[in-house]
Amino acid sequence: MIRFEKVSKTYPGQSHSALDTVSVDIEKGEFVFLVGASGSGKSTFLRLILRESQATDGRVHVAGKDLNRLAGWKVPRLRRQIGTVFQDFRLLQNKTVAENVAFALQVIGKSRSDIERLVPETLELVGLSEKSERMPDELSGGEQQRVAIARAFVNRPMILIADEPTGNLDPTTSLGIMKLLDRINRTGTTVIMATHDAGIVDQMRKRVIELADGKVVRDEARGAYGYEN
Amino acid sequence: MQMTYVFTELKQGLRRNVSMHLAVVLTLFVSLTLVGLGALLKFQADHAEEHFGKINQVVVWLCNDASKASTCTGKVSPAQKAAIIKVVESNPEAKGYHVESQQTAYDKTKRLFGQQYQTKLPADFGPDDLRESVWIDLKDRHKAAGIMSAVQGLDGVDSIRDSRGLVGPIFKILDRMQIGSLLTAGILLMAALLLVANTIRLTAYARRREIGIMRLVGAGTLYIMLPFLLEALITAVAGVALAAIALTSFEYFAIIRGVSDLRLMPWVDWTDLRMAVTAAAILGPILTVAPTLLLTRKYLKV
Repeated sequence: MIRFEKVSKTYPGQSHSALDTVSVDIEKGEFVFLVGASGSGKSTFLRLILRESQATDGRVHVAGKDLNRLAGWKVPRLRRQIGTVFQDFRLLQNKTVAENVAFALQVIGKSRSDIERLVPETLELVGLSEKSERMPDELSGGEQQRVAIARAFVNRPMILIADEPTGNLDPTTSLGIMKLLDRINRTGTTVIMATHDAGIVDQMRKRVIELADGKVVRDEARGAYGYEN
Repeated sequence: MQMTYVFTELKQGLRRNVSMHLAVVLTLFVSLTLVGLGALLKFQADHAEEHFGKINQVVVWLCNDASKASTCTGKVSPAQKAAIIKVVESNPEAKGYHVESQQTAYDKTKRLFGQQYQTKLPADFGPDDLRESVWIDLKDRHKAAGIMSAVQGLDGVDSIRDSRGLVGPIFKILDRMQIGSLLTAGILLMAALLLVANTIRLTAYARRREIGIMRLVGAGTLYIMLPFLLEALITAVAGVALAAIALTSFEYFAIIRGVSDLRLMPWVDWTDLRMAVTAAAILGPILTVAPTLLLTRKYLKV
C-alpha cells in the first residue's frame, strides 16, 4: 500500500535532511504508529504520502502510484484515497457537524444521493448521529475530533493518516478516539498515526516505526512507545 | 461537478470583499472608458486623414493672371509647367504627383464650400480666378525641404503650400489626446491588476481553512479556483458594462448631439463606438481573469 525506497528529503535552505534514506513497507490494512521526538521527520513522512511535498531522493509509492512521477493534476485523485486527521481538528466553524462531513464529498463532486447516504452512515459510525445539526463550538474536543475523523473517512479512503489526533485530548477521550480508529482499521483501511502518546501506543500493541533525526531507528511488529528492556 | 458550493462561495466572496470589488469595478470602468476613448480618437484621426487628404503632401500653386509673385509673368506657360514637373519627377523626395487644373479646382471649391458660400463670391467668379496646382506626395512626411527648395523660385511657381503645416496641428492634437488617454488608461489598468491581485490574496487568506481542507480531500484545482474566477469575471463584466454606458453617452451627447453640427470633418459614428466597446469588452475580462488564473495557481497550489 505504501512503500518508501531509500527516501531522503531536504527542504530548500536547510543543510540537514528531514528524512535520510528511509525505507519502509506498509501493507494494506495495517495499523502503524509513527513515533519519535519533535523534528524527527514524522510530519515530513506524512507529507510525502499526501504528496504535499516530494522526495529529494528515492521513491515513494502510494496505492500503486510512484509519487515522484505522478503528474500534478492527478494529485487530487490520489488524495481522495487518503483521509487525514489533525491534532487541531480543522473543522469549518460556520458549518454544522453534518455539513462539515458533507463538505468533503461536495468538493469532490459526489452526487446528492451519495452524500445523503454516506454522511448519516459515517456519523453513526463515529457515534455522532444525535449531534449532526450542532455547530463545532457546541461540541467537546473529543466530539470535534470524531467529526474530523468522520470527514476523513466519509469517502471510504484506503489510507487514513492521523497526525497526533489525541494531542489535545484527555486520556479517556483519547482512548475513545483510538477505539474508533481501530474500528476503521478493521474495515480494511490502512491507518498511519503519528503520536507522542506513549500510553496509547503501549496499550494498542500495533506496529511501531520510530524516527530519529530523519532515520528509521526502530520498526517493530507489535511494539511499544519506547525500547523495552 | 457540484456547483452548490461554488455559487455559495461566490456569493460569500462577493459580499465579504464588497469594497475591494467596488474598487476594482470603478478602476476598470475608468480605465476601460479611457481605452475606449483612445480607440475613438484613433478612429477620429483616421477619418480626419481621409477627409483632409494625406498628411504627407506638398502643393505647388502655379501662376495665374492675377499672381503677383516675382516668378510670375502672367499665367504659367506650358513650357514652364513642363520644367516644374520635370523637377518634381526627378526629385528623390517625391513619391508621385498629380496636376489639378483650374477647372478641377473650381469644381472642388464649389463642392467643398457649398451653395451658401458661393453666393458671397462675385458673380463672375470662375475657374480663371483659381490657380492650377501640382500635388506632390512625399515618400517621407518628415522630408520635404529638398523638394520645396528645388521648386521654389522656378518660373511659373506662384507659391508652395506645405499640407503638413495645415493639417499637422489637428493630427498633433488628436495624437496627443490619444497618447494621453492610452497612457492614463495604462496606469489605471495597472492599478486594476494590483487591486485584483490584492483581492485574491485577501480572499485566499480568508478562506485558507476551506481551501486547505479541499486540497486534502482531493478537490480538483479548477473546482478550488472556480469561485475566484467567477468573482473576477463578475467584476470585469460590471466594469465593461459601465465603460460601455460611458462611451455610448460620450458618442451620443458629445458627438452626435454635440460637435457633429460642426461640419469640419466626419466624426466617429456608431460603428466606431461598437469597435471601441468591443475592445473594452475583450480587455476587461482578460485583465481580471488572467491575474486570477496566475495568482490562484500560486496561492492555491495543490
